Amino acid sequence: MKKLLALLMALVFAFPMYAMAEYPSKPITIVVPSKAGGSTDTTARIFINAAKKYWNGANFVVQNIPGSGGQKGFEAIARAKNDGHTIGLIFTTQIVSHVVSKRARYTLDSFHVMGNCVDDPLLIAVPKESPITDLAGFIKAAKENPLTVAVNGIGSDDFIAAKKFEKKAGVEFNLLPTKGSTEQKALILGNHADASIMNLSQMQAQHKAGTARVIALLNKERSQVLPDVKTAAEQGYDVNMTATRGFVAPAGIDKDILAKLDDLLVKVNNDPDFIADCKKNVYSRLPMSGADYRTYLEGLQVETQSFYDKNPW
Amino acid sequence: MILESLSSLMAPMPLLAVLLGTVSGVVIGGMPGLTATMAVALLIPVTFTLDPLIGLVLMGGVYCGAMYGGSIPAILLRTPGTPAAVATALEGYPMTQQGRAGLALKVSVIASCVGGVFSTIILLILAPILAQFALTFGPPEYFLLAILGLAGLVSMTDEKTGLIKSLISGIIGLIIAVVGTDPISGMLRYTAGLTDLYDGVAFMPVLIGMFSISQMLTLTGKKSVVDNAELVTEIKREPLPKGIFKFISMGSFTGTLVGILPGEGATIAAFLSYNIARRRSKKPELFGNGNPEGIAAAEAGNNGCVGGSLVPTLTLGIPGNSVAAALLGGLLVHGLIPGPELFTTYGPMTYAFIFSLFIANIIFLILGLYMAPYFARISLTPTELLIPVVCLFSVLGSYSMNNSVLDVFLCLLFGVGAVLLHKTGFSLGALILGLILGPIAETGFAQALIMSRGSAAIFFESPQALALWLITFLLLVPPLLNIIKKHRMKSA
Repeated sequence: MKKLLALLMALVFAFPMYAMAEYPSKPITIVVPSKAGGSTDTTARIFINAAKKYWNGANFVVQNIPGSGGQKGFEAIARAKNDGHTIGLIFTTQIVSHVVSKRARYTLDSFHVMGNCVDDPLLIAVPKESPITDLAGFIKAAKENPLTVAVNGIGSDDFIAAKKFEKKAGVEFNLLPTKGSTEQKALILGNHADASIMNLSQMQAQHKAGTARVIALLNKERSQVLPDVKTAAEQGYDVNMTATRGFVAPAGIDKDILAKLDDLLVKVNNDPDFIADCKKNVYSRLPMSGADYRTYLEGLQVETQSFYDKNPW
Repeated sequence: MILESLSSLMAPMPLLAVLLGTVSGVVIGGMPGLTATMAVALLIPVTFTLDPLIGLVLMGGVYCGAMYGGSIPAILLRTPGTPAAVATALEGYPMTQQGRAGLALKVSVIASCVGGVFSTIILLILAPILAQFALTFGPPEYFLLAILGLAGLVSMTDEKTGLIKSLISGIIGLIIAVVGTDPISGMLRYTAGLTDLYDGVAFMPVLIGMFSISQMLTLTGKKSVVDNAELVTEIKREPLPKGIFKFISMGSFTGTLVGILPGEGATIAAFLSYNIARRRSKKPELFGNGNPEGIAAAEAGNNGCVGGSLVPTLTLGIPGNSVAAALLGGLLVHGLIPGPELFTTYGPMTYAFIFSLFIANIIFLILGLYMAPYFARISLTPTELLIPVVCLFSVLGSYSMNNSVLDVFLCLLFGVGAVLLHKTGFSLGALILGLILGPIAETGFAQALIMSRGSAAIFFESPQALALWLITFLLLVPPLLNIIKKHRMKSA
């Protein structure tokens, strides 16, 4: 009996030691703050496919925590045990707009930013019946009569892009908040709204099929998916907005483990299979280091704050 | 192209995938808390590694199977497996209590199959034209559609639940639907600082609580759902009632039409066709007390949604409902971009997928007809076994929707609340209707007024809007006349 007890004690004490010595000692949970099957979820799954090659024997588990524009998932990452066995995906602008609107129970300091993976630039789309064919025509029409522009909910990437565009072009939109890209597509294809600001992946198929017209891409460079669409900057309005999807870990993890995690992300970002999977899913890659991505997020937060201060939601 | 797609479908692997998908769909649909949306979403990563066709037909099978599967526990135990089966429970369960579960199951499976096949034919032939029709629906039309649905509150009235009580139930539902983020301004309403409530009161836990938990609480005083075992085994060979096909076709038509509209779900389709059947029935007094006509309309309605919802999904890339949205994700993963190309370049694959839906419908028809007498025996399960099992699944199901513990408490709270409401004669169906339609009506109303810059004229401009006003009017006037007549008779 005593021997058995001793053995048990030894096991109990040995386990944490073992965990420290050999990271990862158990499956790594990747928190995905959206539903299974969505684009964030797919990003996590193709990341895992590539990551397994670099960490032999390591297991990854996706945990979907959807709800409240990602807020529930972001909070779960911030709250997670900081032993390196839980990391998570974040997406912009929601991650900072919850902080700005004072609803989040986290700040950017609650996370260690590992880096960015992919992005989905925003665009301006109009119905195919619309007389508007370029930004100049769009702004001219907007100045004559406020255009009804559909965006995803308040505080989303679409909304911030619309606000940025309003500021730059000196126009004011009749903003129409919707429940998401399904509604936005129906509003544009059915010619119910004058325009919609939404993500590239949500409207590219319709532009190719000729059921809607994309008049500008709000990105520095043209997209390979829609090479015929001019960027806003090319048309004289330097407004850029993109939805990024990157990885973070809870703050306070051991430095050696963080170094391993950051290194894994860099490797996956350059992995040929991962690149091929991104292409298959029409995701544009935007690899950013942890430090760069952190700077980007901070800048985005300041920008979002300025819109919130002017007109809080 | 049609032949090519048929031959690619008639191979052992795709057929096995359809069979597997349909059977597991029926099982998933039959469990409270596991919905078709969830099943299809979970399948997407699996289909990653499969041949695109196999993956697609697997998901299609699950979709068809789950839509039917939800009706089995709804009829036998009054615990709808999917939200779309709530209307089925209203008629099916009283039939089970009368020992006519066998017939109820038979009507449900036949109606499901006819609804599914009808909508798939429509999808096959008319998809591109109907997609254009769906696009003419804008925010004002959605608002009016929700109002049309809410007009059903009046038809939910019977002797047990008076008009006033069913209106109160509906308004309770609308009030609960107010909780959450304001869709237009982004303000929080009555969320009590709980992040879990920012998206509103989650629908599935409420549904599971109101039907499954409350039903289990009600059953605690009984030995089994049906006390007389002979009743179940004796009349299982009851023939189909006359004139039932009128209601099946009515349901199929309504279901397909509602399914085509992007964003409208099978639940609304089922409720709408149920209410229309109730209006059009020669025996409306039987509704609420076990009328197979109600089951026929509701089940044809929710399965009619399957083909309908795929119309805008395949032609425009706009998913008709949440299951179709998950299916769309599956299409995109395989590089199949919705649009005209799907019917030309990728034609063989698309048509094979559509044909697989026919097979799925036939599979669950055979399964349902063959198994109905055995399923019916579930209603004889002793409550000491039934209650713990159903409660376990209910709690699991309400937790697993959003991984939220709050949802479990909500489910239990609504369970107790529903027992009180039911005992005092308030209609639970009316409450659910208010809860589903509240957000649609609100968003549609606000968006329409933003589009028109504040002018209410937008609700009367399009022909679609006028047609919806007319149907609402037609649904409301006869019950109103009835009430006046009754009132006069009383006073005379």
